Amino acid sequence: MATIPPATEISGKVPLVVFAAGSLIIPFDHLEQAFEARYPNIDVRPEYHGSIQVIRHATELHDSIDVIASADASLIPMLMYGSQVPETGKAYADWYIRFASNRLALAYTDQSKYAAEIDASNWYRVLSQQDVRTGIADPRFDPSGYRALMAFALANNYYRQPTIFFDMFTGRFRRSIGIFQDDDLTTITVPEIVEPVANTGLVMRGASIQLIALLQSGELDYAFEYESVIQQHGLNLFSLPEELNLGSPDVDYSKVLVRLDFQRFHSVEPEFPGERIGYGITIPSNAPHPEEAELFIAFLLSEEGRALMQADHHPLFEQALADNHANLPASLQGLCAPAETP
Amino acid sequence: MKRRFFDLAFAILGGALLLFILLPLVSIILQATPKTFWQAFSDPEVTRAIGLTFAAGAIATGLGALGGVPLAYILARRRFRGKRLVEALVNLPIVIPHTAAGVALLLVFGRRGLLGSWLSPLGITFTDNLAGIVIAMLFVSLPFLVNLSREAFALVDSELEAVALADGASPWQAFSHITLPLAFRGVLSGMVMMWARGISEFGAVVILAYHPKIAPVLIYERFEGFGLSSALPAAVVLVLVALVVFSILRLALTRDSRG
Repeated sequence: MATIPPATEISGKVPLVVFAAGSLIIPFDHLEQAFEARYPNIDVRPEYHGSIQVIRHATELHDSIDVIASADASLIPMLMYGSQVPETGKAYADWYIRFASNRLALAYTDQSKYAAEIDASNWYRVLSQQDVRTGIADPRFDPSGYRALMAFALANNYYRQPTIFFDMFTGRFRRSIGIFQDDDLTTITVPEIVEPVANTGLVMRGASIQLIALLQSGELDYAFEYESVIQQHGLNLFSLPEELNLGSPDVDYSKVLVRLDFQRFHSVEPEFPGERIGYGITIPSNAPHPEEAELFIAFLLSEEGRALMQADHHPLFEQALADNHANLPASLQGLCAPAETP
Repeated sequence: MKRRFFDLAFAILGGALLLFILLPLVSIILQATPKTFWQAFSDPEVTRAIGLTFAAGAIATGLGALGGVPLAYILARRRFRGKRLVEALVNLPIVIPHTAAGVALLLVFGRRGLLGSWLSPLGITFTDNLAGIVIAMLFVSLPFLVNLSREAFALVDSELEAVALADGASPWQAFSHITLPLAFRGVLSGMVMMWARGISEFGAVVILAYHPKIAPVLIYERFEGFGLSSALPAAVVLVLVALVVFSILRLALTRDSRG
């Protein structure tokens, strides 16, 4: 799939395969153009999926990938640190850089049902109506999906109405998504098969970006998207409270946990604790073009990259933080600080 | 001598192509162990997807025959202005990329589409449901039915119809008692081809109806989301079931007509 086609030899360019979270598609497209203008001998070949998919393309489908950018940095240690490249026996990755955050929000249009009435006090009631069509990403493949589930679980506590999650999701999946609440932790269990029941108003796609076209064509009234994506597309933005949007550095989101309750991942049982959204980027240990990959990441973190991301409403962190800073390629070590070890 | 070299060269070239078709099919069928079958058939998501795929293909074919058979007859029998245009139109779905066909269908049948905006207040919608799957399959597979039926009608001697009409049969009677029975084998193989093309459709369906998942969508999702080992049982079973059903139908259709 991502093996190098013969076109390489013809164009004489180094193909740099970048697999990235779907929510990065617009800023990374701009980044690609600027990067290729700077390095005319490199041809960036991007591919976008839900972030779990992005990583599984490396670890399960064995695509050769040079750069991996995930919308949930924690997926990199979870799925890449512990699994080995069959040829070398080395871990797929042993470092990552956390470079940006985001906020979960609702995208809608002027034609969306109740567009004039929706507000901070009633949004979850609006979305739970059967005649309102709401899109969320599949939590098995895309962090935006499990983050949307988290937002509803957090809403239970925030609004002190323990049935908000239940009202939104019960009866809308062929196999229900479980929620278990004890004193200080709400655990959401996602079953192996996640499929919305037709005509209940809930619509699901593999990645949150796939919901944009459905919103624009009127198939959806609301969609859970990242704020950057909503702004990039010029859609109406309904901001969730800071306590629910998973984007604030000042809020503790850890009272919620999403578990993927099935055994399809190698050795790991994926659990996603609620935490502030952090995008992570790394170079797989089997990347065919690691030096060019370093250039790409350095460019992302440069002033020019920063400005491009900012222009696309997806600002980088003031200071990018690296997990396992010592394992970073030397050229990237100076561009980020070591993350505090918990 | 020259002739033999010619035949040999063509046989090698054709044979290489046959091998190209056979190898992938054989290698996927070789994956079919009792375990894969058990995995596939004990997985309700797989059985449901396969059942849905075949049923949606059959509904699309039925709907297609309703309009496609009359259209094929007219194209075979009548001359009229713009006939070439109609023929080109019938074949358009073959050349349009199927994802583009899906988008085009969405513009018509979507909730804010040309027809969809009238139908959706009545509760008739075409996204993420069986109706969406059926119209996507109908759109992309109709040419097979129309083209094969038209050829079948063209092969029926029009004198026979003329005689029937002269003997006082109505045009309806001539069609249903003479032409259709004589062309039936061709029409039926058109329907089989349409059904087969329908059940293999991915691009147009996935745009209109990601859910409920037909088998091609499920295989794609399994492959993308969970890897090869997860996609394989569903893929193997779909290939085998399609091969078996298709062979039986083709066998039944061609048994007598082979000279």
